[in-house]
Amino acid sequence: MTTMHGFLWSLVVVSAIAQVQAVSWHRDLLQEWQSADQKRHELTQDHTRLLLEKSTLTAHGRIDSLARKKLHMKEPEHTQVFRK
Amino acid sequence: MSNTEETKVEGVERWRFALVLAVFAILLAVVAGRLVMLHTIEQPFLFEQGEKRTVRSEVQMASRGIISDRFGQPLAVSTPVVTLWVNPKQVNPNELVGVAKTLGLNARDLVQRIERVARQGRSFYYIKRQVQPEIAEKILSQKIAGLYGDDDFRRYYPAAEVTAHTVGLVNVDGKGQEGLELAFDEYLEGSDGSRQVVKDLFGNVIKQLGVDSIAQSGEDLTLTLDLRLQYLAYRELKSVVQSHHAAAGSAVILDAKTGEILALVSQPSYNPNNRATLNPKHMRNRAVADLIEPGSTIKPFTVAAALESGKYTAGTKVDTSPGYVRIKNKTIRDHRDYGVLDLTGIITKSSNVGVSYLARDLGAESIWQFLNHAGIGNPGTLGFPGEAVSSIPYPEQLDDLRLSTVSYGYGLSVSPLQLAETYTSFVGGCRQHVSLLLAQAGSQPCEPVMSARTARQTLDMLETVVSAKGTGSRAAVDGYRVGGKTGTAHKVGRGGYEDSEYTAVFAGLAPLTDPDLILVVVVDEPQGQEYYGGEVAAPVFSRIMEQALRLRQVIPDKPGKDQLLQVAGGVR
Repeated sequence: MTTMHGFLWSLVVVSAIAQVQAVSWHRDLLQEWQSADQKRHELTQDHTRLLLEKSTLTAHGRIDSLARKKLHMKEPEHTQVFRK
Repeated sequence: MSNTEETKVEGVERWRFALVLAVFAILLAVVAGRLVMLHTIEQPFLFEQGEKRTVRSEVQMASRGIISDRFGQPLAVSTPVVTLWVNPKQVNPNELVGVAKTLGLNARDLVQRIERVARQGRSFYYIKRQVQPEIAEKILSQKIAGLYGDDDFRRYYPAAEVTAHTVGLVNVDGKGQEGLELAFDEYLEGSDGSRQVVKDLFGNVIKQLGVDSIAQSGEDLTLTLDLRLQYLAYRELKSVVQSHHAAAGSAVILDAKTGEILALVSQPSYNPNNRATLNPKHMRNRAVADLIEPGSTIKPFTVAAALESGKYTAGTKVDTSPGYVRIKNKTIRDHRDYGVLDLTGIITKSSNVGVSYLARDLGAESIWQFLNHAGIGNPGTLGFPGEAVSSIPYPEQLDDLRLSTVSYGYGLSVSPLQLAETYTSFVGGCRQHVSLLLAQAGSQPCEPVMSARTARQTLDMLETVVSAKGTGSRAAVDGYRVGGKTGTAHKVGRGGYEDSEYTAVFAGLAPLTDPDLILVVVVDEPQGQEYYGGEVAAPVFSRIMEQALRLRQVIPDKPGKDQLLQVAGGVR
């Protein structure tokens, strides 16, 4: 009887410790997930910002005017294309 | 004495002892009873109240899908921002003075407003929506009690007014209001996620109890538009609308072989990034929502119908003298007496009298059938908000006069986009359905309108319009065979057709050897001396077409005056 009781009590203690461990594990994982989610959020922010920056910098109108003004480029005419 | 005292004391002690013990026992029983009651009868209520105080339901915003052009250039992008709000009951308004300054708000105004809503007993008030994350970070790091920041998204339109009408815009809550943002709102928006969490005093999540739904980002939308063509069409259209002081304008570029919309622009336009200055007048997508009378741009269909009937060939002579014809009290006029013209000549000179004769000979039923197959009178298929439905009177309604007017493009109406679609009929004789989404392009089979032979003959006729003796000579493009048709329609006002208000139209294709692009340019109410389609719309057509062909690297099909072109592929 006493050995049975002792065994059951030890089960109770073990499961109580396991419960504490599980809760702690849950919190750790949650923390990890939250910082990963935060990271994801920041990366999305960077991504869209860079996307917008790229599209501004590569805008057709901007390239067109830069090519004309800074690089002094112009559209080819028929005779010009083939001359060295 | 001592004895009696002792017993007395003992007696009193025993009695007191019993009393104290009883009181304690009763107290214990009361506490125990209360405990049992709390744990049994009142438990559900208390549990709920406890949950209410610690468990929070958190919403995670889903990001809206990106709209991009056919090459992946972004046209509408959602970027994370922060919405700042306060609980007026918790916040000390005077602490917000610095915040107001950072956000560029009037501090005194803000404090007064917060005090007012606090008196009204409200516990929520927006400070500023959609703040840049860096600024919001700075403000939130001050840890002002009662000031909170929520994640939010803001929509940016990198191409701004160039794609404004087509892409549309969303309101401050991220709901589609116009254009594709409205038409594909559900597809783009995704669904928010929500979860149950326990938060500590500082608002940190310490326990996640359950996830009701996971945030699903919206789907991305890829359009058939080519942003490069869109830019140049917009630029040229804007410049012509300004130089002719026109009320409005629109231009449509289609891929001639597939019907994909490569550019769709309207003037006047607006900047969808600045919602404060919106003017509903500027938000009209004229290329899709406006109906115009196409005028002479319909004549090629009348002539093609004549060719298709087998009664006529390109060389069949029609006598158009004396340059006018009277039908039911109405006189249909040409510019001048062109005398005897063949079918090609009717197109070259844009003879109203000529096409009237053709239409009357063919009959209402056959003209109507032909135009209907070409897409006039069909509802639009884009599913665009406010998309106009073209119209044409039924054959029974087409008496001689109305039939004649329809044959040269009056008395029927199309949108500029639909006009462009009808012109795809001239590429192989089969009308392509226009598409704006890359995924849907080419999903519908084309609609046979005429034989490939008739289509080719009509294209050759259209080329004469752009020749030196035609009405659209200013639409010519160096190095390419271009075909097209001018159109000038009187605008309909309150009292019928207005004498001095016109719509100038040019519709055409290039290069004719193997058409690649279809372009329709419409300029509404050009002011000044020039108002004909050949004077106003044709030069813009030429400029847009030239640049578009070059951008798409289409091989020139017309040897220039310069023989060097022939040397191009040869050995040096």
